[in-house]
Amino acid sequence: MRDVYIIGTGIHPWMGFSEQVFADFAAVAVNDALKDANLEWQKIEAIMAGIFIYGGNAGHLSGQYLESIFGETGIPVVNVYNACATGSASIRMAYNSIAAGETDTALAFGADVSPKGFLTAKSDNAVQDRDVIRWKMGGLPNPIYWALECRKRMEKYGTTEEDLALVKVLMSEYGSKNPHARFKKQYSIEEVLNSVYVCDPLRLFEICPVSTGAAALIVTADEELISKADNPVKISATTMGSAMYGDPTIRISALSCPSVPEAPMLSESYSASRQAYEKSGIGPEDIDVLELPDNSSWHYLVYLETCGFCKDGEADKMLRDGETKIGAKLAVNPSGGFSSHGEALSAQAIWQVIECANQLRGRCGERQVEGAKVAMAQTYGLMGNSGTTIMTI
Amino acid sequence: MENMVNKVARIPNLVDWSTGEVRLMSAKCNSCGTYFFPKEHYQHRPGCSREGVEDVLLAKKGKLASYTIQYYPCPAPFKTEKKITPYGIGLVEFEDEKIQITGIITGTDLKSLKIGMEMETTILDMYTNEEKQQVVTWAFKAVN
Repeated sequence: MRDVYIIGTGIHPWMGFSEQVFADFAAVAVNDALKDANLEWQKIEAIMAGIFIYGGNAGHLSGQYLESIFGETGIPVVNVYNACATGSASIRMAYNSIAAGETDTALAFGADVSPKGFLTAKSDNAVQDRDVIRWKMGGLPNPIYWALECRKRMEKYGTTEEDLALVKVLMSEYGSKNPHARFKKQYSIEEVLNSVYVCDPLRLFEICPVSTGAAALIVTADEELISKADNPVKISATTMGSAMYGDPTIRISALSCPSVPEAPMLSESYSASRQAYEKSGIGPEDIDVLELPDNSSWHYLVYLETCGFCKDGEADKMLRDGETKIGAKLAVNPSGGFSSHGEALSAQAIWQVIECANQLRGRCGERQVEGAKVAMAQTYGLMGNSGTTIMTI
Repeated sequence: MENMVNKVARIPNLVDWSTGEVRLMSAKCNSCGTYFFPKEHYQHRPGCSREGVEDVLLAKKGKLASYTIQYYPCPAPFKTEKKITPYGIGLVEFEDEKIQITGIITGTDLKSLKIGMEMETTILDMYTNEEKQQVVTWAFKAVN
């Protein structure tokens, strides 16, 4: 297997609903990635595209739509969906194609336009698509699943409402320093605690909304391109995990979960992260920057435990003691996280990897983690989808 | 039990009241012992032969394993004639079946909710359909 490096990245800043088409957002990100890599379009040998699920035929063939904008060259274009870990799948395919020697240089991208209004069922057929049941009969929008787990955590480990609010305070401080962030207002703990409940115990400022955004990543094993690149970042491992039997988490879209655990919580992310540690020979203790999926304040806490940065039930203390801040041994979400960005489904995993790469390349200005050498991006997607990417410089 | 004549579940094969009690419709794998809900949501133990899956009804009562109170209306296709927001959602544990199931909480003071309290399976009226039937979903309420 060959070493694979990130040489070009591009982000279209995160924003709310837009009338513009997703391919235009994608083109902005891809154009920036090409410029960053100082690369001609014709040098791209494969495109691994995250699909845009609300985009009809165009969205499901997002790679072809993107390719035609820059000029069709006949290369392999694969369109992939793994819920909110879609970007992890596209990065992993690009990495594997290059590491195996099939191609030298590949593009992974995702672009998403926030649906107008709420996320809801994507079909009307409950026999074919069990997700329809939770919408028609369950009364179960996504944050309810997080609230149910959060309440269990509060009962089990003593997590407080102040802990949940503190996550937002920290994320809003970092988000205010990130030009790509959608939400740049800084919040005090009182302001967060005064925000309305969406689903008790989670408040409005403690859950992330859906957003519009695009991200593109160019990876290569071409030695000449690597030598010319500005601070190329090595991908030490990029993995995906699915859920394991006996995982006690109540998973988004499901109506049931086991009551006797036989696997870790969020087992898909446990699996992805452990695969990455094994493949890279890098462990949590070596990591300087972690971008985790803080879909809610609960996620921020539980992911520190799921990925092995502390023992179960200890994340609250890490947070309270300032051990997750920029300047501590481990900086968690110096980007401002999903809390400051919102979810742009097929783009977000790639965006997380780019935020990590930017830290390693020293490009983060006011939110820069000084001396960062090792970074990890961790994703989370509904119904057992997850990806981990570990990078070094 | 209230009069269940002329009531219909919005989606079939989830909730049953033919025995005179409202019970959730599950399936049990006699090879790996796992219970499924919905009953077609197979989640076999890896290596299971997957033989001998039979339809079963869950116990009527369980314990509240977690809950939340939802302050915003659930978007369509969810619909109820009467406003139900804010509404409780419970995760109810059926001990013998080793499964926890989500459901709207009805007929219960939301301020009284507490992890561990006993809950029973019931139904919640949603709306009247074109055939003048009362369309319902499954729900949970505190056992008094």
